Amino acid sequence: MDVRGDFPFLKANPRLIYFDSACTSLKPAQVIEAETSYYTQLAACAGRSSHRFGRETSEKTEEARAKVASFVGADASGLVWTRNTTEGLNTVIRGLDYSERKKVVTSVLEHHSVLLPLMRLRDKGEIRLEIVGCESDCSVNVAKWADAIDRETALVVTNSGNNTTGWKGNAREVAKIAHDNGALACIDGAQGVPHGRTDFRRDNFDFLCFSGHKMLGPTGIGALVSKKELLRKLEPLMSGGGTVKTVTTAKIEHLDNQARFEAGTQHLGGILGLAAACDYLKKIGMEKLEAHERTLGAALRKQLESAGANIYGSQDGPHSALYSFNLKGAKPHDLALMLDKHDIAVRSGFFCAQPAMDAMGAREGAVRASCYVYNTIDEVDRFGETLRKLKALY
Amino acid sequence: MVLCIIAFFVFAVMSIFSAKYRPLAKESFRCVFRTLMLKPCDTGLDQRIKAEVVAAVLRFSAPLAKLINRYFTALTWLFVAITLISLAYTVLGIYNFYFYGNCDGPQAINACILNDITGDYGRFGVPVPLIPPTALDGITAGNASANVTIIEFGCFTCPYTREDESTMKTLLQMYNGTIYYVFKPFPLPQHNNSFDIARAVLCAYDQNRSWDLQDLVFSNQAQCMSGGDTELETLAQGAGLNMDEFNTCFDDNQTGAQLATYVQEGKEAQIYATPTFFINGKPLVGPQSLSVFEKAIAAAGGPAAPGGS
Repeated sequence: MDVRGDFPFLKANPRLIYFDSACTSLKPAQVIEAETSYYTQLAACAGRSSHRFGRETSEKTEEARAKVASFVGADASGLVWTRNTTEGLNTVIRGLDYSERKKVVTSVLEHHSVLLPLMRLRDKGEIRLEIVGCESDCSVNVAKWADAIDRETALVVTNSGNNTTGWKGNAREVAKIAHDNGALACIDGAQGVPHGRTDFRRDNFDFLCFSGHKMLGPTGIGALVSKKELLRKLEPLMSGGGTVKTVTTAKIEHLDNQARFEAGTQHLGGILGLAAACDYLKKIGMEKLEAHERTLGAALRKQLESAGANIYGSQDGPHSALYSFNLKGAKPHDLALMLDKHDIAVRSGFFCAQPAMDAMGAREGAVRASCYVYNTIDEVDRFGETLRKLKALY
Repeated sequence: MVLCIIAFFVFAVMSIFSAKYRPLAKESFRCVFRTLMLKPCDTGLDQRIKAEVVAAVLRFSAPLAKLINRYFTALTWLFVAITLISLAYTVLGIYNFYFYGNCDGPQAINACILNDITGDYGRFGVPVPLIPPTALDGITAGNASANVTIIEFGCFTCPYTREDESTMKTLLQMYNGTIYYVFKPFPLPQHNNSFDIARAVLCAYDQNRSWDLQDLVFSNQAQCMSGGDTELETLAQGAGLNMDEFNTCFDDNQTGAQLATYVQEGKEAQIYATPTFFINGKPLVGPQSLSVFEKAIAAAGGPAAPGGS
């Protein structure tokens, strides 16, 4: 996949092997230009000012909403701009009413952005939380979900791509089990949306949250996609400018569309950048991207195995080009720093998923190598070679 | 953590000269501070330094890099110990410089710097030309009509003058009757009891026993400096002096005046350290080896060294 020339960061750092895309991806020039164009050509508020720049900004951002919604197979009317996946997940988890059903089900493999808001509600007594454990291969099978989800369940939260193992999970099946029990399904798409085709309508999700910066887009912009009718059931996290029809000192009448959740001036440059990222990925083709990642993922696993790394998670099932691993005797941070000295950028630690890492047996954390559209087989081979060289240190 | 202690010292000093090291100094200080507060260091600076060192070594030797990687904590403790020892020696050097005029202390074999007498810092400043004295009186030995005259300004409480004494004795024996040696006492005010000791040796010289007393003084230099007149009297008795004559001489103003003359000669010669030698007028500062004296004597027109060294 010959896209490296589109990435100014790679041009500026030609020797660098960037294997930290699960943390944040690099941005192509098209995205940077789109974001910059807001500041150089539009520069106005959306949905507020009636001058021509204001009108044009509104048009462009609504076009962007339609593009981003279309990218995940959803309606623009159900898409709420957020800062990131975390804000989307918090909006859903804290915005739902648990007065009739108090139970929420999630898995131990989830990101802190899922677990922490749920655990806080649990600790305040607002929900009853059931956390499903994982198998020895770091997956959560459907049967376990089915056992945990029942008619008392209000919400099920899981991911469509795991940030510690790269396993793409079984979100569609979990959503079906949730619906069969009258519960809602909220999907953490932070690692799923960037790495494969997502179809919100087809998969029958209720909520889907994702970030722009992990899918070639800018930081500080993401989206919460919801079934339109469910938006009305959510209580916004924040109130402020742009969220109300009318307001007097005695009464607030909120808007009933997604603007109810978009208090204050939005990250307009980021919105245009995110739409450009969706365009960019669409142009490549998500199927082609998935095939590229499968090739990279297989090569990556082979290199890790040849270096004698302890890899977390199974290769079975759909998988992105992401692996967490440890080398015997090496502390994860030390190894990541040594790789950095060899111009290889990886992440080390718990990846904001400490319970998941504990469950997988990585109690002191791990090193994570995650590839994306701009990475090559040659880079994977060089990574493996370096890892084998570093293994001699431990 | 251990590494942060060293890093703090190093980066703190480097920060004085370059702003780019200041964030690192702050980071290492935070690490040291947290450690003192019994909290874990959270900066990761030590890990980054370790990676830097190991990666650099790995470029040319994998086994050495492995060794460093494995024993890094032990090595950092070793460096801490070396740093602390260096620091202690630095403090000791400053102390010695303040009290003894040199960084090496009273037992060192260099020269006693006389900056507080002459106002000149000698090797630490711009050297001044030394002017050979013309008077040949002092504590003398050898042949007064010899071609070569060695004049020495020295202090009996100066460890470097002491160091030189055996060389002078050897020279006088080697060049038996062919050189003339003049010792001019130059007591240093920063050394305790130095003037009284010089007076005592002058009085011993009157009784022709100056070498006996100065041998005892040099071998008991520290006690002489701390023991005062009582110690001196004991040594004078040990040197076999007539104590009545000694005491009379010691209290005689004439002895003091004679000593003052030698000190004045030293100042006029602009010496800045003891011992300072003039070999037929050519200066040599600090204790020198026998071969240096042999060459200087030969250069001054004296006989070749007996034994051909």
